[in-house]
Amino acid sequence: MRIKINSEIAGQVWKITAPQGTSIGADEPIIILESMKMEIPILAPKAGVVLELHVGEEDMVAEGQWIATLESA
Amino acid sequence: MSWQDDIDEIKKRRDLAKQQGGQEAVAKHHEKGRLSIRERIDGLLDAGSFDEIGQGAGVPEYDEAGQLTGFQPANFILGFGKLNARKVIVGGEDFTVKGGSPNPAGLRKSVYTEELALKYKLPLIRLHEGGGGSVGGTGQDKNRRPLGDPVFSTSRFLPLAETLGAVPVAAAALGPVAGLPAARLVASHFSVMTQNAAVLIAGPQVVKRALGHDLTKEQLGGPQVHLKSGAIDNLAETEQDALDQIARFLSYLPDNVWTFPPHQPTQDKVDRCDEALATIVPRNRRQPFQMRKIIESVVDREKDGSSFFEMSRKFGPSLITGLARMDGHSVGVIGNDCMFYAGAMTASAAQKMRRFVDFCNSFHLPIVSFVDEPGFMIGPDSEMAGTIRHGTSAISAVLQSRVPWACVQVLKAFGVAAQAHFGPDAYVLSWPSAASGALPVEGGVAVAFAREIAAAPDPARRQKELEDMLASSQSPFPRAEGLSVHEIIDPRETRPKLIAWLDSAQAAYRTQAAQPYLTTMRP
Repeated sequence: MRIKINSEIAGQVWKITAPQGTSIGADEPIIILESMKMEIPILAPKAGVVLELHVGEEDMVAEGQWIATLESA
Repeated sequence: MSWQDDIDEIKKRRDLAKQQGGQEAVAKHHEKGRLSIRERIDGLLDAGSFDEIGQGAGVPEYDEAGQLTGFQPANFILGFGKLNARKVIVGGEDFTVKGGSPNPAGLRKSVYTEELALKYKLPLIRLHEGGGGSVGGTGQDKNRRPLGDPVFSTSRFLPLAETLGAVPVAAAALGPVAGLPAARLVASHFSVMTQNAAVLIAGPQVVKRALGHDLTKEQLGGPQVHLKSGAIDNLAETEQDALDQIARFLSYLPDNVWTFPPHQPTQDKVDRCDEALATIVPRNRRQPFQMRKIIESVVDREKDGSSFFEMSRKFGPSLITGLARMDGHSVGVIGNDCMFYAGAMTASAAQKMRRFVDFCNSFHLPIVSFVDEPGFMIGPDSEMAGTIRHGTSAISAVLQSRVPWACVQVLKAFGVAAQAHFGPDAYVLSWPSAASGALPVEGGVAVAFAREIAAAPDPARRQKELEDMLASSQSPFPRAEGLSVHEIIDPRETRPKLIAWLDSAQAAYRTQAAQPYLTTMRP
């Protein structure tokens, strides 16, 4: 099942912690946004593989923006 | 002469009422994965406790001899019942008759619901599924003009408004809910919707005709819209989950505003001190933490898990609001969630705060506040949303509170918005991680010392020195020295300290009779 991951907050991509192709567990961070001077992880809702990343480091992200696609078993 | 014929007639009519929209309509409703209103009421109330009102109300058809030949039951079911052995009023539309759009008897019963709750001072539960009025009116006969309400009648919206200041009102959307039922749905202290429910002012056809948008009713008013819009508080996975959430919500509340909330015995220890609290806040201020874990660690643990019942999680998510119990006593809980804009007060978080604080005051719930407030949300979107007005309104609501307040300053308390976390004469406990002031040092230093930083041989180093110096002045120890807080505590002591406070604060609060809570004009 493919899951669209949207960011619930606006911010700037500070770090990509799970690049495309990475296997990831539930509640593990895909990217970390810098928002209001804090490092806020965007977590995988389920275990799976990061199929696509739609943002790069230092990109600005808007509230609700689609940032990644997860393929979950 | 016996009354047997009439007694038989009563039974016949009751049987007709129980058929609702007929076997076919009920089966069709089940196919959509939805329960009928009578099944919902059975799923909610204690077994056998439903005491119906107006079962005989409906739209009859008589032949020339005056014999009943047909009967369309009122499509609103209403009555008394018991929920966990406490009396309640329950009502809801019957979607299997006219899609819940009121027939004349259904309308009378539905508008009587609030009158009943006000008269008997009992909690009110409405289970909604249905449309509003139609241009054809409530009657069946298109050749007759409907007779409107007389000019001297009281508006049906007045008791709807008055119930909110008198009794707890919980409502569920369990299918499409539009027009008047949608207004009734949100005229509640707690509302919940199922995944396949939709809440609409007007449906897709009306919207398309007027505005040209081609949207489904789910796109217009599904849970993804109304949990974020703040119109609906919570999502339910199933209909039974929605009914269970309503039961849980009411378990914290008194029957009405003239009584105090009930006490529920607990097995959880008063002196439980969770070790995890000592390390839960990272020393690095850039790293977030989970405020919900702190709340759940401090409030009672019950047989089925935490006593914390969160409401409106998706609306204004930088603020957490919910109900909980401490040593069995009901409390309102608020906390900042730094995962959303560092916990900043947005316009929606401020509206959520004001509504929740007024709710707690209405039902005499002491408030426990876990503070990590960086200030009002900044930036163009926040200005455009009118955050300053909504935020100031929230502060007014907080400071006009009459219920006891306890505040645990976990981390940040900055700016004007910090005022919204400390009620009048609050009992204030500070964690060692607490930091207070007009502005967080990270932003404040760069602005206040701009010239000094620019003139320094190594500006970055000077900025860091100033930040470190000012950060130490925001520490909680000087505040404890000046008795600006009641106590600076080991975070693990939070639960026993709060319970000891609650015992005294609640006893003092309850020396005065429980009264309705009236508010003044707010900003």
